[in-house]
Amino acid sequence: MALLETHDLTRRFPGVVALRAVNFTARAGEVHAVCGANGAGKSTLMNVLSGTIAPSSGSVLVNGEKVNFITPAEARSAGIAIVYQEFSSIPELTVADNIYLGQEFRKGFGVVDHKRASSEAHTLMERFRIDLDPDAVVGTLGVADRQLLELARALSNDAQVLILDEPTGVLSLSEQRNLFEVIRTLRDRGMLILYISHRLEEIFEIADTVSIMRDGELVATREKGSLDRKELVRLMTGHEVSDTEAIVDPLASGKTVLTIDGITSDDSRILIAEGEILGLAGLVGAGRTSIARRLAGLRPRTGLTVQLKGKPLPSDIAGVLKAGLVYLTEDRKQDGIFGPLSIPMNATAAALDHFSSAGFLARRRERSQAATLLEQLRLVASSLDMPITSLSGGNQQKVLFARALLAQPKVLICDEPTRGVDVAAREDIYRLLRDLSKRGVAIIMISSELDELIAMCHRIAIVRQGVVHSVVANEDLDEHKLVLAATGSDAA
Amino acid sequence: MNRAQLVIAFFFRLPPIVWALLLTVAFGALYNPQFRTVDNAMNVLEQSATLAFLALGQAFVIAGGLIDLSVGQLVGLVTVVACMGFEALPGWRLPVILGCLLLGAAVGMINGTLINHLRMPPLILTFGMLSVLQGCIFMLTDRSVGSSIPAIDFLAHGRIAGIPASLILVILATVIAFYCLQRSTFGWHLLAMGNNASASRKAGLNVRGLTLIAYSVSGFFAAIAGLVLAGRLGTGFPNAGSGLELDSIVAVVLGGTPLKGGRVNVVAVLAAVFFLGTVSNLLNLMQVPTFTQILIKGIIVIVAILLERPRWAAAPQ
Repeated sequence: MALLETHDLTRRFPGVVALRAVNFTARAGEVHAVCGANGAGKSTLMNVLSGTIAPSSGSVLVNGEKVNFITPAEARSAGIAIVYQEFSSIPELTVADNIYLGQEFRKGFGVVDHKRASSEAHTLMERFRIDLDPDAVVGTLGVADRQLLELARALSNDAQVLILDEPTGVLSLSEQRNLFEVIRTLRDRGMLILYISHRLEEIFEIADTVSIMRDGELVATREKGSLDRKELVRLMTGHEVSDTEAIVDPLASGKTVLTIDGITSDDSRILIAEGEILGLAGLVGAGRTSIARRLAGLRPRTGLTVQLKGKPLPSDIAGVLKAGLVYLTEDRKQDGIFGPLSIPMNATAAALDHFSSAGFLARRRERSQAATLLEQLRLVASSLDMPITSLSGGNQQKVLFARALLAQPKVLICDEPTRGVDVAAREDIYRLLRDLSKRGVAIIMISSELDELIAMCHRIAIVRQGVVHSVVANEDLDEHKLVLAATGSDAA
Repeated sequence: MNRAQLVIAFFFRLPPIVWALLLTVAFGALYNPQFRTVDNAMNVLEQSATLAFLALGQAFVIAGGLIDLSVGQLVGLVTVVACMGFEALPGWRLPVILGCLLLGAAVGMINGTLINHLRMPPLILTFGMLSVLQGCIFMLTDRSVGSSIPAIDFLAHGRIAGIPASLILVILATVIAFYCLQRSTFGWHLLAMGNNASASRKAGLNVRGLTLIAYSVSGFFAAIAGLVLAGRLGTGFPNAGSGLELDSIVAVVLGGTPLKGGRVNVVAVLAAVFFLGTVSNLLNLMQVPTFTQILIKGIIVIVAILLERPRWAAAPQ
């Protein structure tokens, strides 16, 4: 019998049908991946299952019994726990206090028993073999540990169903392996794990069953064995998509654009040619972003000498931009978007010089140019006047790309350009990067997805502990070698 | 650890505001003979009662990441309503007192309800409420009105075995606030909400209920402060509470509570109230001009906020 079912589950939002008569079934003891492009309805489905959103019509069944969740607490007591994409832990409290927040142990007279929470948390960690100190203050932990905390919190409720929303978004490879280890343990104990992800290779690694959603509908549910990558992408997007493997341009002109001294372990110089795409590979925390930010003038450039087309690159952000080097951030929310502003305003923020005369802004020109560019980038938006936060992750990223392009870069550094971006928008971004490369723009691409680097880059620089250890031509690489190099296991 | 080490460790772990209070008292006792009398000390404690109640109520709100600007005018309204009531209904003293307490809690509930359901920023909403209450006061009277009653006078001036009655009430209120905020599940949830409201909602906490209770407590405590102040003034005075909302916020912040909430130490808040009272008393005795006193208070606030840093902020990223 199915552990979790939905019958004709429908949810309408003003102007949109987010879920259209979804009949979803999942059984105990499996990892059930739910995938689909952004806006396909995955998150809405999970929010209904976890009691955050009420359905417009239809029903949810747990163990064959109809349930009707109004609040997250009710879903939790019915055995459904969710780990959100965005962490919902409180940094000032300890791990144990976070786990039992809202379900505290009490000593009588309603007095909170923190010691008991700590000891229970120790037991919990041991039982599920999670390597996390219950007494650590959450604010001092790294992202991987905070992820484990979210997981532990879900487990503290003896959940039957665990929903993981994009759990590996910010994890490095070894942390991801660690997480998968825990997930498998849980599955073998008979839990149902609903796994939401954009990353296809992950889905093939961890899932037993895959459900695909598109435009609010459940398109298919398949056993992993009867599904291949191309088929999955076709189901998600509704049409054939070129495989990422099929590109790689030859090294272009050979004219050097960027010269960097002082970032390699053997003091050699790194030259980047016009039209070249150079990948920066390494683990999370290896210092890739730090290198990018030093190049872009966002951090002091200690020890680094950079020349762009033979001239020293200024060390302040404005000077760097003027010289033609643009950095596209990995942290859209924090460093990228201007949340409440419209889409064109976001797109032109770095190039206002082009749209102003005598200090006055030509709003109409700004808008029309931004609109043309965004159309080329295949932006999907109901109206340009909406705040950028109304867009999906992939579309937000396209707007940021538009911003970078309007600054007419000679060198573009993009940091995790496809993080939180769905499959279809990813293809658009890949296409754009290749276009730019053909037009002679040198690109430095940072990514934690190795297949993406291998598919896109001419050369890949491997970063370890803040320095580039080696630069390898793409032909000499595969994913396995890259992992070994990034972890330092190739040194021997 | 031996006993001496324990004592030293205890003193080192005292909140900075307690140190400031001790140093101020020591300074005053050394240099000012008028300051170091029991009488003066009792006076300071007695005069601090109004602010103490306000600050304890404000601590509930700020701990939850909220703020209540309406309490100052609420104090004024309570002094006016109470004294008018005592005069108009001589046989109904207890109902008038209870009515005033209810009025305070009701204003707090209105604040909380509006913030919950209109999703308005607490700063703006309670600022609006400040104005509304001020309007209510001046619709009732534009000058001193009515008079206090002996029972209320006793609350403000009375002594029990030489100890001010108001001080006893303040200590009682502090113990209750300590239990509610720093020991009970309610307080724990309130602090969690102050740290991160959306995470708390996702953890299943009743964020709206917490907000409502915090404001009700703040309003209720403001009403007690209003009654005590009515006793001290002997009459209902429209401007009695003007500016007290800021003083209460200053006391809570001096007590080490971050303005964004999430952490609170009730005893330190009380120490901050006494510190402010002591400083003002000492400056008066030293005949420092009023405007200089205001300036000094401003500097104290700025220094206090500079010193406030969360412990984990220094941890490596």
